[in-house]
Amino acid sequence: MPKSQYMDPNVLRAPGYVEFENIPVNQYKKTIKQEMKNFSNEDFVRIYRDMAIIREFETMLYAIKTTSEYNGVSYNNPGPAHLSMGQEASSVGQAYLLGKDDYIFGSHRSHGEILAKGLSTIEKLDDKELYDIMENFLGGKTLKVVEDKQKSVKELAIDFLVYGALAEVFARETGFHKGLGGSMHAFFLPFGIYPNNAIVGGSATIATGAALFKKVNEKNGIVVSNIGDGSMGRGPVWEAMMFGSMDQYKQLWDEAHRGGLPIIFNFFNNLYGMGGQTCGETMPYNILARVGAGVNPEQLHAERVDGYNPLAVIDAMRRKIKVLKEKKGPVLMDTLTYRYTGHSPSDAMTYRTKEEVEAWQEQDSLISYKNKLIEAGVAKEEQFAEIGEYVTNLITKTCKMASDETISPRMDLYAVPDQIESIMLSNQSIEKMEDRPCDVLMPMEENPRVQQIAKKERFAFDANGKPVSKNKVFQLRDALFEAIIDRYYKDPTLISYGEDVRDWGGAYAVYRGLTEAIPYHRLFNSPISEAAIVGSAVGYAMAGGRAVVELMYCDFLGCAGDEVFNQLAKWQSMSAGLLKMPVVLRVSVGSKYGAQHSQDWTALVSHIPGLKAIFPTTPYDAKGLMNAALNGTDPVICFESQRIYDVGEQFHEGGVPEEYYEIPIGEPDIKRKGNDITILTVGSTLYTALKAADELQEKYGISAEVIDARSVVPFNYDLVIESVKKTGKIVLASDACERSSILKEFASNITDLAFDYLDAPPVVVGSRNWITPAFELEEHFFPQADWIIDAISERILPIPGYTATHNFTDGEKLRRAKLGV
Amino acid sequence: MATPVIMPRQGQSVESCIIGKWHKAVGDTVAVGDILFTYETDKATFDEEAKEAGTLLGIFFEEGDDVPCLTTVCAIGNAGEDISALKPAGEEAEAAPAEEKKEEAPAAAAAVVAAPVTAERKDNVFISPRAKALAEKHNVDYNFANGTGPNGRVIERDIQAMIDAGLMTTPAAAGNYDSSITGTGIGGRISLNDLNAPAAAAAEAAIPEAEFEEVKLPTIRKVIAKSMHTSLSTMAQLTLNTSFDASNIMQYRSFVKDNMERLGLANITLNDIVLYAVSRTVLNHKDANAHFYDDKMVFFKNVNLGLAVDSPRGLIVPTIFNANKKSLNDIATEAKALAKKCKEGTITPDEMSGGTITVTNLGSFGIESFTPVINPPQTCILGVDTIETKIKEVNGEYKYYPAMGLSLTFDHRALDGAPAAKFLKELKQNLENFSILLAK
Repeated sequence: MPKSQYMDPNVLRAPGYVEFENIPVNQYKKTIKQEMKNFSNEDFVRIYRDMAIIREFETMLYAIKTTSEYNGVSYNNPGPAHLSMGQEASSVGQAYLLGKDDYIFGSHRSHGEILAKGLSTIEKLDDKELYDIMENFLGGKTLKVVEDKQKSVKELAIDFLVYGALAEVFARETGFHKGLGGSMHAFFLPFGIYPNNAIVGGSATIATGAALFKKVNEKNGIVVSNIGDGSMGRGPVWEAMMFGSMDQYKQLWDEAHRGGLPIIFNFFNNLYGMGGQTCGETMPYNILARVGAGVNPEQLHAERVDGYNPLAVIDAMRRKIKVLKEKKGPVLMDTLTYRYTGHSPSDAMTYRTKEEVEAWQEQDSLISYKNKLIEAGVAKEEQFAEIGEYVTNLITKTCKMASDETISPRMDLYAVPDQIESIMLSNQSIEKMEDRPCDVLMPMEENPRVQQIAKKERFAFDANGKPVSKNKVFQLRDALFEAIIDRYYKDPTLISYGEDVRDWGGAYAVYRGLTEAIPYHRLFNSPISEAAIVGSAVGYAMAGGRAVVELMYCDFLGCAGDEVFNQLAKWQSMSAGLLKMPVVLRVSVGSKYGAQHSQDWTALVSHIPGLKAIFPTTPYDAKGLMNAALNGTDPVICFESQRIYDVGEQFHEGGVPEEYYEIPIGEPDIKRKGNDITILTVGSTLYTALKAADELQEKYGISAEVIDARSVVPFNYDLVIESVKKTGKIVLASDACERSSILKEFASNITDLAFDYLDAPPVVVGSRNWITPAFELEEHFFPQADWIIDAISERILPIPGYTATHNFTDGEKLRRAKLGV
Repeated sequence: MATPVIMPRQGQSVESCIIGKWHKAVGDTVAVGDILFTYETDKATFDEEAKEAGTLLGIFFEEGDDVPCLTTVCAIGNAGEDISALKPAGEEAEAAPAEEKKEEAPAAAAAVVAAPVTAERKDNVFISPRAKALAEKHNVDYNFANGTGPNGRVIERDIQAMIDAGLMTTPAAAGNYDSSITGTGIGGRISLNDLNAPAAAAAEAAIPEAEFEEVKLPTIRKVIAKSMHTSLSTMAQLTLNTSFDASNIMQYRSFVKDNMERLGLANITLNDIVLYAVSRTVLNHKDANAHFYDDKMVFFKNVNLGLAVDSPRGLIVPTIFNANKKSLNDIATEAKALAKKCKEGTITPDEMSGGTITVTNLGSFGIESFTPVINPPQTCILGVDTIETKIKEVNGEYKYYPAMGLSLTFDHRALDGAPAAKFLKELKQNLENFSILLAK
């Protein structure tokens, strides 16, 4: 919402028409002869070779999948194989001009793209660089398998590439990421091959984030998001196109960073999304390239390209790369192609006729391209026969090695049981992802918010124990701000975005003051595209940056479900630790806005392996935990309660330190000491629990020890168990709906770990399993102090003379469970 | 008339806004549309424009102040107008910490229970792991625990209550509850010697057969043993002995006995009379009608008389509640009823709890004086001894009279010798002049 842009009603209300340019469809018409100035004979033939390698690689996989045998090599591969036979020209054509600084991201059907990009990069790298890459990769383990001193480095590199990819498909430790990604997630960063993705369209947002990284940090190269025609039906793909095409890149960002993102949204359009026919049945666009016209005035420079002709694709790529270099991106490509095999080997292909498949096979790209080359006198039939022999040998040998248990062992989880465990989180501390000056607009001390904060009291009570007024006290939002702005001045790659973070300062004013200090390219407003916000942060981090992004409400996590649960969480481990994911995702937990704006979803996040989750409730904790999150290399979901953005620090003696400090993620904290019962809280319920603790002490002489979980994952139980050993009794409380909340997990583990010390089973006091009602009715929904006391008296320690007003009986528990409420 | 400018409410969730910057000062001329001040919500900064023209007459809040929405922030009007009525009330008042100090320390619920034990050993006791561990550590038989947890579960505090009441066994004796031995301690109480006797006896009996009967201790015996031992080992007990002229009470007793049917009275015994006298005397000596804890004492407004009863299963001390409000006949009736229940084993935990002072009687066994053992946390126990004939000088003549002994054991931690003696003295006077006491 920049004030510099005036929404003039006179202009906006004036009549007119939206005009479109024609969108080219298969306009490539050059002959081989015409192309000879662009390609040497070797180039022409190498294009064929690359297509042939892919074809044979896929043929081998098809044979292994369907007959468990290829050229005398027997092997059973239970894992997936989504093959792309028929699509070779499109992937080789795309990769031809790309080098190691250009990144491709793929789909579940991307073996061809990996090999094509790898082969193209091998061709461009010099021998030394190439050998260094191979030698340094996984300590040379993969190279050792294919090492052959007789071969040239480039020949060796091809063996290395094909073997690394296949070993990955076969889940071997010598694979490109130790077999932990597999067929649908393979990648090889040193060649600019970024992860493929088993989620349809999953790469769109991630690739956009990588392009953002290149733009923000002024890196060379472009990014290609390879996804299929079926993915056009997915919201995150549209979100990626919106996010990737925002006006502000061209209108608001400073001169050095102005211009469109260097990304091609490439749709390998094989006409089927699994079995759904995207043209005529499941999608409306008829020709996919049409969509570009709906996105921005440049129509995303959209074009349909004949993906059956590698030269047509190269021609298009040459033109599109130029567009990106001119900062006029993004680009949409509708690369028409066709797959001969089914979606997967189990596909009976009930949705298309044999005749249709045969008609495409008759125009097979390998055959027609070969014939054209022969016809144009570029090469002779015998050369192609030699290539055929080379390729068959290459694939046969590779298959033999990759399927051999001794040469290509799997991860031995008997011998080293923590191999996967050890890569679930990277747990590193890295102050800055790159070492260079940070782009900022002013020295930090001149920042108006920093100056404002300097006048505030950093502890909630004055010397006489009197509370400092809200507007004078250093609040939780100030604590978050302090940690974030500090990192902005330390890590040049740090960026932050989300809805209304700039100008507005974030919906809850955490970012107020940052607009003045941080240029657009490091702090900007995103479209209301939660999937793109999170997905792009994943891509930004994969590419080497650090991001803190925000979802305005925790409830919107669902909108970014895949990006949080499948992408953010999983890439460190699916990459066998090769990728780091320094992303902090701030989500705000509401309270006053009803059922879709008030939910604490810590349980959802905690259920997904690979994420850290924190929920600070005091300014001291907020700053320390945010610092730890921002200094780390793991994805951290930071839950923030809207109820307590304005609280001052009431617990940490001396208030919130001005200097930098970290609070280790995963350590709960005792907020009040006690002896008779433990109350463990998550989130702002801490303050409710303290109220209950006051009443327990004053009215009933029960001394409660109140512990704030602070973190949800990881979680060190030591402190809690120690407390339970002392008190023998524990109530757990949070604002999350009680059923399956994180408290249930805590309660279960506490029971396991301290059973012999317990005087009663741990009792969970959560919100009702309802929708969150209107603010005025919230006391019936969110745990209140008297609920906690009721639960104690009813289920743990009957308090003489106390009458519970809420029903915590067994019968009521059973009734609610039976009704599912 | 001056116009108030209020802090707008920018959205339902906004309760207050912080004044960012004043663009006008008091006395400035204001035109419609001029920015008066900026203000900030949690979410954004807004400009407040003047909707009236005039002079800014007063500003009630400073930059940085957090102003509740809809509160008057400033006033615009004609120079010189009185705006005192527009000034928001209590703007200075900051929420004071609502810390009310409770006057008396509440009883700790973690420890408050009724009777620590039930009369009957229960099978299938539900007990928390923590309580069980505690019971095992202290050799408490939790099968007798009075479960006060949810659904009657025995929880930590129940075992703690038994421990506090001394209802424990020795490790060596633990688990041997299915038989009984006769206590040789005072009033039939079991002593440590009694507990050890069977084992020692068994060892000695190894050679000559059938010279000994080896008897397993019943739970209650062990409970009593532990209780007594704890009492003696944790308190500063000492006993004062005296006697009084029982002529008056014997006369009275005799009269009642002769006329009880006609008068519709219970069989009032000498012991009942002593109980009555204690109930009417002890309230004048609050240290003696009290519970002593390590860090506090609890003084009772009424007298709950513990009554030591020798039952086939051992010593049981039921309670006559509010004895000070009951008539002698009531006390006598209730004492008999309770004793009966004890003998029959139908006494309930509630009837055995809450005693504030205990009376025990070994007089019928001819005991002349003894050392009763206090039932903690009570501070006194009165022993009633046998009646002996003594001689006293009355007007220069030696006169025989029946003298009944009283042995008052008190906890020196709770009260000193003199107050205890004063209690005993008044009790003696009341008993010697019982008919007067009755008349009071």
